[in-house]
Amino acid sequence: MEFQLSSDQLAIRDAVTKFLSEEWDLSERRRALDDGPVKISDTLWQQILDMGWIGIAVSEGKGGSGLELLTSAMLVEEAAQVLFPSRLCSALASAYALDQCESAGMSALLASHMTGKTFVALAVDEANADYGPENNSTTATLSGEEGLLTGQKILVPDTDVAEHFLVAARLGDKGALIRVATDAPGLTITPMERIDAQCVSELELKDVAFSTEDILGGADGAQAALHRAYEFWTTLISADLLGVTTTALKVTNAYAKERHQFNRPIGSFQAVSHRLADVKMDEEVGRSLLYGACLALQERPDESSPQVSAAKAWLSDAATRATEAALQLHGGIGYTWELDVHLLLRQARSHAVYLGDADYHRKRIGAYLAEQLKSSAAEAQR
Amino acid sequence: MDLSFSEQDEAYRQKLRNWIADNGDLATRTMKGIDDQGDRNPIQAMRDWQRHLYEAGYVGMSWPKAYGGYECSLTEQVIVNEELARTHLPPTINTIGLTIVAPTLIQHGNEDQKKEHLKRILRGDDIWCQGFSEPGAGSDLASLRTGAVVEDDQFVVTGQKVWTSVGPIADRCVLLVRTDKDAPKREGITYLLVDMKSEGITVKPLRNAGGGSHFSEVFFDEVKVPRENMVGELHGGWAIARSTLDNERSGLSGVVALENNFKKLLELVDAGTRGGKPALEDPKTLNQIAQYWIEIEGLRYLGYRTLSEQLKGQKPGPQASVGKLFSSKLRQAMAKSALEIAGPYAALTKKSPHVLNRGRWVAGFFDSLGYSIGGGTSEIMHNVIAERVLELPRSVED
Repeated sequence: MEFQLSSDQLAIRDAVTKFLSEEWDLSERRRALDDGPVKISDTLWQQILDMGWIGIAVSEGKGGSGLELLTSAMLVEEAAQVLFPSRLCSALASAYALDQCESAGMSALLASHMTGKTFVALAVDEANADYGPENNSTTATLSGEEGLLTGQKILVPDTDVAEHFLVAARLGDKGALIRVATDAPGLTITPMERIDAQCVSELELKDVAFSTEDILGGADGAQAALHRAYEFWTTLISADLLGVTTTALKVTNAYAKERHQFNRPIGSFQAVSHRLADVKMDEEVGRSLLYGACLALQERPDESSPQVSAAKAWLSDAATRATEAALQLHGGIGYTWELDVHLLLRQARSHAVYLGDADYHRKRIGAYLAEQLKSSAAEAQR
Repeated sequence: MDLSFSEQDEAYRQKLRNWIADNGDLATRTMKGIDDQGDRNPIQAMRDWQRHLYEAGYVGMSWPKAYGGYECSLTEQVIVNEELARTHLPPTINTIGLTIVAPTLIQHGNEDQKKEHLKRILRGDDIWCQGFSEPGAGSDLASLRTGAVVEDDQFVVTGQKVWTSVGPIADRCVLLVRTDKDAPKREGITYLLVDMKSEGITVKPLRNAGGGSHFSEVFFDEVKVPRENMVGELHGGWAIARSTLDNERSGLSGVVALENNFKKLLELVDAGTRGGKPALEDPKTLNQIAQYWIEIEGLRYLGYRTLSEQLKGQKPGPQASVGKLFSSKLRQAMAKSALEIAGPYAALTKKSPHVLNRGRWVAGFFDSLGYSIGGGTSEIMHNVIAERVLELPRSVED
């Protein structure tokens, strides 16, 4: 029985915190709002690659560290606390997706992705379909070994550095992730200008050519590879939302102790302190659900969606509440451009509707519960 | 990360399951109110049940062997809590004795007091109640006014207590009294052990909003309490009371109770309709149900985090204190949803021939309202989190 960060994980966490506090300058997030998108300097990104962060969850046989998924989530949470760009999430998720495949081509791409030679980005969300890996209007058609991909993807991350996309699409009656080079004929990339100024784009795919070798996991493993990648990436976005929640609470709590009105610190007023207590509760429940999602993904990746959805639904709501509380409790100064609170709010809002909003994830859980009821009724009849 | 129990713990769980299976008849008999003598006597039946549980090794698990306990491991305690909650066995009748009085005596009592009371608490021989709250001292407990005057080798107590659970059937009472009116309010309180059969005690059952009477008012009119029944020092009672007021029960057994509630709610949804269609096809209903599932999962994992820390000998982190606030809110939300799904039947009493599930949902709704008041209101729990976890300045000066 062990359900907390291990001493190794705590050591990694401290090293990450120290590294980011020395190397990452939050003012980049503010600059990007006017002249975006957010950038990570090549030197800084290279240091991150050299430290092996991107391969942290990748199996050891493929050059990764093979650490448990909670370590990745913890890394992302720490990075989000200082609003380090979500390229980290995206890179970890692509690495995890590629790690699901055994083909030599994909293993080579993974190696190249981990060392920074070729950045690979996932393309999942769509404007024309509901959220989730099973809802794709983007369609792949195969004839023999060759195929064509047509459709549209939105909010695709890191298009400024990506050289390959893994595009979620419908292939026959199943879902799949299909590799497409960013310069493939028929592919148009349009930046989307999100409120958090991170680099996300729309992909327009018109008869983009691919071969069976570009299908992650091959014909038989495609569906599982897509689903696992989606669950893992979603969990990392939940970790990011938790990091934002933690920082929102930390800065607001500090402000409530230091800001005086009516000759008292405002944190002594229950209208203020009780709202902060609610945020604390949101954060602790969120952290618990995140650990639960990591454990489910680790132990039974193909049945982890209820726990993954629980964390994402809760943290989408919690991060939104926490950042709104932060703005409100800072009063007038909280509503200014100068204070960092709106940066947190922007990130929370962006990720709350990314890879499924709270309602979508509750819908997934609702369907799971309805399914449970049906199967227990069938069981009872037998 | 690893949520599994050791082989040894799993063997222990199996032994417990066997005991439960072997004692199914005893449990059924207890629930019908039949005691060991075969007489219909619900209180005696519950005492007998607790004694059987104790003799089997499932009560007083964490207590020192010297006072009748078993000194079991924390995981064994968790297993017992989980299994007992899961199988709907009768609860232990002497909850206050087990969770408040005994830990207080183990920590602060003298040798005579421990010898006299602990084993009897375990066996259900003495049922204890708690005389803390007063009409004028609820959330502000330290302003209590029930007074005790020291006369020779005894205290003479006069005053009134309220919200006293199991008052009408209790044999003994832990009582907070004011022994120094002039001292600052936390420095003039003394902690006493009182025999409920003493002359001058009157217990009046109080009905709660739902119509039941689980608590009572207790009046003290010059009640004589021997001096040896004082726990700790004269005027030193507040610190003693505080040390066990925060005694959190293992969060995980509360989660099993919520899971049981959730299962019943799910059955109601499965059978119910919304807007003329099966409730299971109603997106809003499914959305709510999913939210409750998420929150119960959250509480469960919160409990595992706390347990994991305790197993390593660490003091539970801040997540432990959010459990009560969070679960009472959740319990109420689930009870309200049940009434929504029950629809027009939600407003019927248990006596109505049309009542749904024998009135379980209405009873559950009223029951849920008590959770955000008893044992510290949600407003006070917010203060506790704000002051002790977030270290914000105190909102109340006194």
